[in-house]
Amino acid sequence: MTANFLIGLREGLEATLIVVLLMAYLTKSGRRALLPRLWAGVGIAVAVSVGFGALLTFGPRGLTFEAQEAIGGGLSIIAVGLVTWMVFWMARTARTLGSELRSRVDGVADGAAWGLVLVAALAVGREGLETALFLWAAAQASGESGTPLFGALVGLAVAAGLGYLLHRGVLKVNLSRFFTWTGVALVVIAGGVLAYGVHDLQEAGILPGLHSLAFDVSAAVPPSSWYGTLLKGTLNFSPATTWLEAAACVLYTIPVMFFYLRANFRPPLRRAEAPAATAAVAS
Amino acid sequence: MPGFSSPQTRRTVGARLAVVAATAILPLALSSCTDNAGANASGTTDGPIQVTSTDAECKVSAAEAPSGNLTFAVKNDGAEVTEFYVLAEDGLRIVAEVENIGPGITRNLVLTAPAGKYITACKPGMKGDGIRADFTVKDSGKQATVDADLQKLVDTGVSQYAAYVKDQTEQLVAGTKEFATAYAAGDAAKAKSLYAATRMHWERIEPVAESFGDLDPKLDAREADLEPGQKWTGWHRAEKDLFPPAGYKALTAAERGALAKQLVADTAELSTRTRTVELSADKLGNGAKELLDEVARGKVTGEEEIWSHTDLWDFQANVDGARIAFENLKPVLQQKDAALAKDLDAKFSALQAELKKHAKGDGFAYYNELGKDEVQKLSSLVDALGEPLSKLTAAVVL
Repeated sequence: MTANFLIGLREGLEATLIVVLLMAYLTKSGRRALLPRLWAGVGIAVAVSVGFGALLTFGPRGLTFEAQEAIGGGLSIIAVGLVTWMVFWMARTARTLGSELRSRVDGVADGAAWGLVLVAALAVGREGLETALFLWAAAQASGESGTPLFGALVGLAVAAGLGYLLHRGVLKVNLSRFFTWTGVALVVIAGGVLAYGVHDLQEAGILPGLHSLAFDVSAAVPPSSWYGTLLKGTLNFSPATTWLEAAACVLYTIPVMFFYLRANFRPPLRRAEAPAATAAVAS
Repeated sequence: MPGFSSPQTRRTVGARLAVVAATAILPLALSSCTDNAGANASGTTDGPIQVTSTDAECKVSAAEAPSGNLTFAVKNDGAEVTEFYVLAEDGLRIVAEVENIGPGITRNLVLTAPAGKYITACKPGMKGDGIRADFTVKDSGKQATVDADLQKLVDTGVSQYAAYVKDQTEQLVAGTKEFATAYAAGDAAKAKSLYAATRMHWERIEPVAESFGDLDPKLDAREADLEPGQKWTGWHRAEKDLFPPAGYKALTAAERGALAKQLVADTAELSTRTRTVELSADKLGNGAKELLDEVARGKVTGEEEIWSHTDLWDFQANVDGARIAFENLKPVLQQKDAALAKDLDAKFSALQAELKKHAKGDGFAYYNELGKDEVQKLSSLVDALGEPLSKLTAAVVL
C-alpha cells in the first residue's frame, strides 16, 4: 500500500510540477484565458498514455524495453528544450508586462499557445506511459486485492493536491519575485528532467556510461523512502547518479540559470537589448 | 527585435517543435513493437516464466528457455517496490527491465532473446545490484528458412552423411567381431594387426557415437579417464592387454573372453542406435569441428593410444570423418560462402599431404617414432584447419 502510494506520488509529482508552475504563471500574468490550452495538453497526454498503456497491456503487441526507455528519455529531453524556451518567453513577457501595449502581449501569448499545449503534453506524457502501464498492471491485480490500485491512485491524487497547494502558494508570492522564482524553479526541475532523460537513454543502451557512477547515496536516501520519493518526484534526483547524468544536469542548469538571471535582473532601462541576448541563448 | 517576437515567428517555432517531437517519436513507436506472448502462444511453448520477487528473494520459475519471445511475469510479493532486470552475460548491459512493480502487482516483461547466457535480477527497494541468478536461452532452432533449392542441397548432404555413418558402423561391427574372435582366442598377433584399422571406423563417426553418453565410455574409455568405481571395458582395455607396459599382469583367458564379448555386444548396440539418429546440417558441421578438436586434444599429443602408439590411424580417421561431413555440406557452402569452401578444401589437402608422409604400407608410423618437429608440423596444420572449420556450421545453417 505505502509503496504503491509512493509510486503514484512520485510519478504524479514528476508530471505535475512543470504544469503547475506554468499555470501559476498564466494566472499571475492575467492570461487565464490560456489555461484551457494547458489543460488540453495535459488531457491529450493522459488520454494518449492511458490508451497506449491499455493497448500495450491488452493488445497483441508490446513495446520493447529499449523503445519504452527511448520514448521516455526522448520525451524528457524534448520537454527540457520546450520548458527552457517557455522560461525565457516568460522572462521576456514578464518584463514587458504593463509597460507595453496589451494587444502586443496578447499577440505574443497567442503565438506561444501551441507551445503551451506541447509543453504540457510533454511534461505529462514523458511519465505518462510508464505510469499508465503501472496503473493497468495494478488494475489487473485488483482481482486479488484492490489496495495496489487504490494506493497508486491515492498517490496520484496527493501529487495533484500538492500541485494545487503549490499553485495557491506561489500565487501569494509578491509579483516581481514570483516571475523570477517560478523561472528558477522551472530551470532546476528541467535540469533534473534532462538528467532523468539521459539515464533512460543510458538504460536503453543508446548512451554509454550506465555503470560509471558519479555518486551513490542510495544508502542514505533510499529510493523507496518518502523523502527519496519526494526528491525524485520534484527534482528528479537519483541517489545513484552516473557521470553523464550529473554532467548533463550541471552543464544545463548553470549556463541556463546564468542567462535566465541575467535576462531577469537586467535594469529595465536597457530592456531593448535583452531580447537579443535571449535570442542568442535560445538559438 | 520586431521579427523575433512577432506572433508569426512564435507560431512557427511552436509548430516546428511539434513536428520535431512527432518525427522523433513516431518511428520509434512503430518500429519497436514486440509480440505480447500472452496473446500469442506460438512465441513461447509453455507460457510466461514466473518471477516472484520478495524483499529477500528472487524466484525465477525456469533457469532456461528456448530462444524467441520470452515473457517474464514478475510478481512483487514483498513490501518494497521492486524492479526486474534481464542483463547480458557480463552482468552490466541491460537487455530488458521492468521498473516500478509495487507490492501485490504483477507486471510482464516481454523480450526477444537470442540464444546465449543471461543474468536475471530483482531489485527490491530499487537499489544495489539486486538478487541475481543465471539464465540460459537455448537455440530453439527457429532460424531463418533457407530457400527451397538450398534446402534440397542440405537434405542431400545430410542423407549422404547418414549413409556414410551406416556404412562405417557396419564395417565397425564386422571388424570388431573379427578382432574380438582373435583376441579371445589368444591370437595376439592377429588382434594387434586388426586393432588400429578396426578402430578407424569408430573414430570416423565419433561425434555420432559419442552422442550416446552411456555407450561411449563403455567402448572408448581410456584408463586415465576412468571415474572411481567405473568398470573398464572397451578398446583401450584390450589395447593395454595387447601392448602391455612393463610390470603389467595380463588378463586371463576368461577375462579376455568376457571383454571381447562385451565389446561386440556394445558395438552391435551402437550400430542399432545410430540407425535412428536424427542428423541435420548443424550436427554435421559441429561434428566435423569436434573431430578436429579430438585430433588436437588426443591424437597430436599421443595420449589416445598410449600403449599401441597407433595414434596416427585415429588421426587419419578423425580427419576422414571431418572431411566427409564437409564434403557433404560443400554444395551448400559453395553457394553461401564460396571463399570458405575453397579455404577448407586447401587446408584439408595440406593436412592430408602431411599425414601421407607418415604412411607405412596400409597403416602409419607409430606415434613414438615421430620427431618433435614432425608433431609440431601436424599440430600447426590441424590448428590452421580448425579455424575455418569452426565457421562451417554458421555459414551453412544461418
